[in-house]
Amino acid sequence: MTGGGKSAEGEGEFDVTKHQLVPKHEVLSKEEAKEVLRRYQVKVHQLPRIKASDPVVKAIGAKVGDILKITRDSPTAGKTVAYRYVVRG
Amino acid sequence: MARLPKLIDGISFGLLSPEEIRKMSVTRIVTADTYDEDGYPIERGLMDPRLGVVDPGLRCRTCGMRAGECPGHFGRIELARPVIHVGYAGVIYDCLRATCRKCGRILLPEEDLDYFRRKVEDARATGGDWWDYSKEVISQASKVTECPHCGEKQLRIKLEKPTTFREEKNRLTPSDVRERLERITDSDAMLLGINPEVARPEWMVLTVLPVPPVTVRPSITLETGVRSEDDLTHKLVDVIRINQRLSENIEAGAPHLIVEDLWELLQYHVTTLFDNQVSGVPPARHRSGRTLRTLAQRLKGKEGRFRGNLSGKRVDFSARTVISPDPCISINEIGVPEYIAKILTVPVRVTKYNIEKIRNLVRRGPEVHPGANYVISPDGRRYDLRYADREELAEAIQPGFIVERHLMDGDVVLFNRQPSLHRMSIMAHEVRVMPGRTFRLNLCVCPPYNADFDGDEMNLHVPQSREAQAEARILMRVQEQILSPRFGGPIIGGIQDHITGLYMLTKRGVWLNREQAQQLLAAAGIEPHLPKPAKKEGGVEYWSGKQIFSMLLPKGLNLTYKAKICETQECARCLKENCPIDGYVVIRNGELISGVMDERSCKALSRCEVLDRIVKDYGSDEARRFLDRATRLAIAAAKMFGFTTGIADEDIPKEAREKIEEVLMDASEKVKKLIEVYERGELEQLPGRSLRETLEMRIMELLTEARDKAGEIAEKHLGLDNQAVIMARTGARGSMLNLTQMAGCVGQQSVRGERLSRGYRGRTLPHFKVGDLGPRARGFVESSYKKGLNPTEFFFHAMGGREGLVDTAVRTAQSGYMQRRLINALQDLRVEHDGTVRDDHGHIIQFEYGEDRVDPARTDLGKAVNVDKIIEKVIGVGGS
Amino acid sequence: MDRISPETIESEIRKLRGELPKRIVDDLRSSLLKVAKNVTLTRDKLDKIIKMVKKAYVDALVEPGEPVGTVAAQSIGEPGTQMTLRTFHYAGVAELNVTLGLPRLIEILDARRAPAAALMEIHLKGELSKDREKAREFARKIEMVTLEDVVSQTETDLINMEFVVTLDRDRIKRKGLVPSEIASKLSENLKSEVITHGYKLRIKPGTPTLPDLRRLAMKAKEVQLSGVKGINRVVIKAEGGKYVVYTEGSNLAEILKMPEVDSTRTTTNDIREIEKVLGIEAARNAIIKEAVNTLEEQGLDVDVRHVMLVADIMTASGEVQQIGRHGISGGKASVLARASFEVTTKHLLEACIRGERDRLKGIIENVIAGQPIPLGTGSVELEMARGERVGRG
Ligand SMILES: [Mg+2]
Ligand SMILES: [Zn+2]
Ligand SMILES: [Zn+2]
Ligand SMILES: [Zn+2]
Repeated sequence: MTGGGKSAEGEGEFDVTKHQLVPKHEVLSKEEAKEVLRRYQVKVHQLPRIKASDPVVKAIGAKVGDILKITRDSPTAGKTVAYRYVVRG
Repeated sequence: MARLPKLIDGISFGLLSPEEIRKMSVTRIVTADTYDEDGYPIERGLMDPRLGVVDPGLRCRTCGMRAGECPGHFGRIELARPVIHVGYAGVIYDCLRATCRKCGRILLPEEDLDYFRRKVEDARATGGDWWDYSKEVISQASKVTECPHCGEKQLRIKLEKPTTFREEKNRLTPSDVRERLERITDSDAMLLGINPEVARPEWMVLTVLPVPPVTVRPSITLETGVRSEDDLTHKLVDVIRINQRLSENIEAGAPHLIVEDLWELLQYHVTTLFDNQVSGVPPARHRSGRTLRTLAQRLKGKEGRFRGNLSGKRVDFSARTVISPDPCISINEIGVPEYIAKILTVPVRVTKYNIEKIRNLVRRGPEVHPGANYVISPDGRRYDLRYADREELAEAIQPGFIVERHLMDGDVVLFNRQPSLHRMSIMAHEVRVMPGRTFRLNLCVCPPYNADFDGDEMNLHVPQSREAQAEARILMRVQEQILSPRFGGPIIGGIQDHITGLYMLTKRGVWLNREQAQQLLAAAGIEPHLPKPAKKEGGVEYWSGKQIFSMLLPKGLNLTYKAKICETQECARCLKENCPIDGYVVIRNGELISGVMDERSCKALSRCEVLDRIVKDYGSDEARRFLDRATRLAIAAAKMFGFTTGIADEDIPKEAREKIEEVLMDASEKVKKLIEVYERGELEQLPGRSLRETLEMRIMELLTEARDKAGEIAEKHLGLDNQAVIMARTGARGSMLNLTQMAGCVGQQSVRGERLSRGYRGRTLPHFKVGDLGPRARGFVESSYKKGLNPTEFFFHAMGGREGLVDTAVRTAQSGYMQRRLINALQDLRVEHDGTVRDDHGHIIQFEYGEDRVDPARTDLGKAVNVDKIIEKVIGVGGS
Repeated sequence: MDRISPETIESEIRKLRGELPKRIVDDLRSSLLKVAKNVTLTRDKLDKIIKMVKKAYVDALVEPGEPVGTVAAQSIGEPGTQMTLRTFHYAGVAELNVTLGLPRLIEILDARRAPAAALMEIHLKGELSKDREKAREFARKIEMVTLEDVVSQTETDLINMEFVVTLDRDRIKRKGLVPSEIASKLSENLKSEVITHGYKLRIKPGTPTLPDLRRLAMKAKEVQLSGVKGINRVVIKAEGGKYVVYTEGSNLAEILKMPEVDSTRTTTNDIREIEKVLGIEAARNAIIKEAVNTLEEQGLDVDVRHVMLVADIMTASGEVQQIGRHGISGGKASVLARASFEVTTKHLLEACIRGERDRLKGIIENVIAGQPIPLGTGSVELEMARGERVGRG
């Protein structure tokens, strides 16, 4: 513990993905993404979105055009999967 | 009545060009006069007969149709000088700022324009909001001072609200503005957010004014015979007058100044014709001083065209009257006064199977109840049975005719009470025609409608088509709405006396002889096949109340739960079947073994186990049967045993009253000491609070404790032999707090969660010393309601009460608006066949509805599947 | 007889994974294993239970076409009339104010930046959370102290053109500050000369003019001397043997960076801040959590599914959108839907110059046009070849 208590020493960062409010985000491969679009019969713009500037997108290194698979804890189903399309912003 | 195919596939918006306005106009309007001395409309006036007809009997000079059929036709006014369209002043301003004053191009180099053009094209191709780029174009271009196309130096343009443009010091007339707008190329217009396919920039400056048809602005003839014109007509008269004067002056070569003044006046009148609430423009008024309701006002707001006429429409086949209760009809039914049943009709198609019945209805006519009001022949002719020869008509009808017969028993109708906050605010009922003048409804449907009988009125609608009737009966019937989708529990169920009645019937030691038992069963509508009597005494057979109640329960029903009376107190360690107050409910195979029926059995909007189980396991038919009979049984039981409450129910013995007084004195003393400590400055401050706040919090704590203690003392003398206590403890009505306030002590009155402090300087009332912080001076009511409040207490009580009233008023307004916004944001969502939730453009909002695809109304209080109940059912209860 | 082993149950349960929601399968597993201990569970009975669970799930599914949006809106809106309007003290932490009831619900749906009563719940790392003194030290460290909080007297000296502040000994001591430190903070922040005379600080404005002096006096009071910006009041509370720090005011980004803080559990009630720092999915979770807590605190029973739908539509675009004119309602594609909600004429005028086309896909548009709406029974379309017999009209 340093006396001054400033957020110096490189300790100043934290891992967003570890926060309990943040569910697991994963980038889908091309094939997986295609399968998702096929399963739901949608075009990418009809998927829910996530911005490229989103802290989690940056943390996992996803890029605009990717589709993310999000595995959420669900109060009703226990576990559930959702997808988001990474857009500019 | 064939279903119409979908007629409107889309609605396109655009501006009218001057040519279009002229083309669609049936006449040019030139005179401001409307009627001549004989009362005939003047040609080329505002009431020109070619503009359409409103008077019945006449035919339209343009389309030849009658009033009601003729849609009306536009005319036009040729403006002597162009005027700005107020609604577009902002857009015009943007166009002027962003374009060159000389060549009319956007003040950005060609490369930039190309870049934006590509962006716009892309957005258009994907159906995006292409106009969003205009903001960027305008903000960049308006900063440019020299035209990159022709090199012209640009001058600063200002918009003086609402419609005056200036370039540096010089005023730009609408003609100047229009000229500049004309120079904007089509492809540049696109970048400014204007789609030249439907709207050229210069069309935002009007040269011709369309005159709306008379059907849009009908005149009314008052009883005195005086004609009263519509506000729009008044405004149009003004426009024409000034327009005429302007053109006369121009022709006569009048001085510039006069022309300018008239021109501005014309602008004013056109502006207020479009919108009479533009800031900076004095609203045009009627002679009486009332502001005119012109075009924008007709569209806007709650009573405007959109919200008032298009989103909610007035309908035929509806009725409204006061409601009153009828515990004898089913929850599915509604009592309709005969008077109303004779006015509302249902169309019936005549077939060879029903023709005789219908002939009889026709013969009876409109005056006698099961009759008919109209006959419609296959060729569409309509016969009014008030005037027709009914006997002849009855003979004349053939299969294929349609007869509009009176509303009859068993018809489905929709019943509604405002505010319609959820879907259970409109439910389908079956008609029961009754004497009297009110709608009658079963008390179990009060909670979903949030109705009571202190003068509430409700609406009734009669679905006319077979599809509508079928949908109403299958989807909207009351019994289908027992479970609320809000929380998956019953919202329709017993209330008040139903609960007390069941309690009195099912509590321990209720024994009924054969006559009494059959009396109850008859009242409940149960066939009186009595089970074996539970007891025989002196040769007389007795049945327990539980036995009688069990006759309502479906076979095979198994339940175990703790009753409401048990929850409230005493049973800290439950003795199960040996509970002293019989609060442990056990139902085995449809037989009530132990426990009493109270709130937890079948009260609406609560965790009512019995009703809940029956709907979920046995379906809505069984649930309806149970509710109908249980409530009638409860009422019959209450009537048989007698149930009343009065002021004497709040009597407590003298010793108890003295004890309460002691407690209050004690608290008062403690508060006094606390205040002394505070005044000496020795009070320990709570972190983050001022000393004064700390003191207030401590005092509040002390006084709350005192009131609770007083309540406890009073409660000791309020047992289950007390009728008011029965109501409170069973959850039928009222609470123990209500009772202890009546019997013990009312307690602290508060405003904004704090003790009362406002009124006079440093004190609440002149009865107290300035700066008195004691309980009595700050709104603590020591008296009980029964004893009565002293004058200062009464005043404080009124202060607290007033806050409650104000809160309620504010809350209804706030939550109403919140709900409107929620509905508007969410109404387009629906579940698709793949279980996703999507909006009207196919955007996925949820991949699985509720993440488990389960309908909240079909859950077991939120749980998709109640696994334990299934296991119990298979393995059998008491297996352990 | 043929009693079933727990292993068989496990293997049967495993087959259900993927077919039924996880929660149902988990429930079934734990209940079955518990029951199997006491009762003889036969193969038939197990099969029967599984069959009935499957059937119960299928029976509980939503009907396609169900207007779940409207139902959710009504389920959240209808109980609104029963909610309180007042702000109460936080349950347990009497010292902090929290917005509750209807105003809080409206605040959540408005997705307002900076809620009226921002509140943080800070968890400390491991050992720190068990040490009251350490927690106190941390609290002192993050509480924002401005000059105003530590002065006993201020004056504007017009003769020397200086702003003179007298520091309160007790208070600066309590906050762990010394005058020289304060002076350097001031000169750094105000970019002006500060002369220290014991507990008296004389601050000189950039130019010795009256307006500059006034501006300086205003700004000086707000200079932050220590702590984290935005953290106004700090309260420590013991919860299950651990100390949790609650703060009035919120600054998630800064707090999460601090080494003492457990950055996996620390949260705020400011949804916009969560969106910025933790992303859209965290914001979705926060909306659900906050709305459910608000409704529960008022004793209102509303199914989570309704709240989840609201949270999902608010976050579908990738950023938190308001329920209302400046969010979802304002962004609708349909001109008529927008015009019938708010600011009617503006939307109509804009649609005209843009040449918009309303495709009548939504609900309100079809109500306006007097046509069946695409929901429930109206969402079923039947196409039929027209026979020659049927003509128009
Ligand atoms: Mg009423
Ligand atoms: Zn006509
Ligand atoms: Zn130019
Ligand atoms: Zn008990």
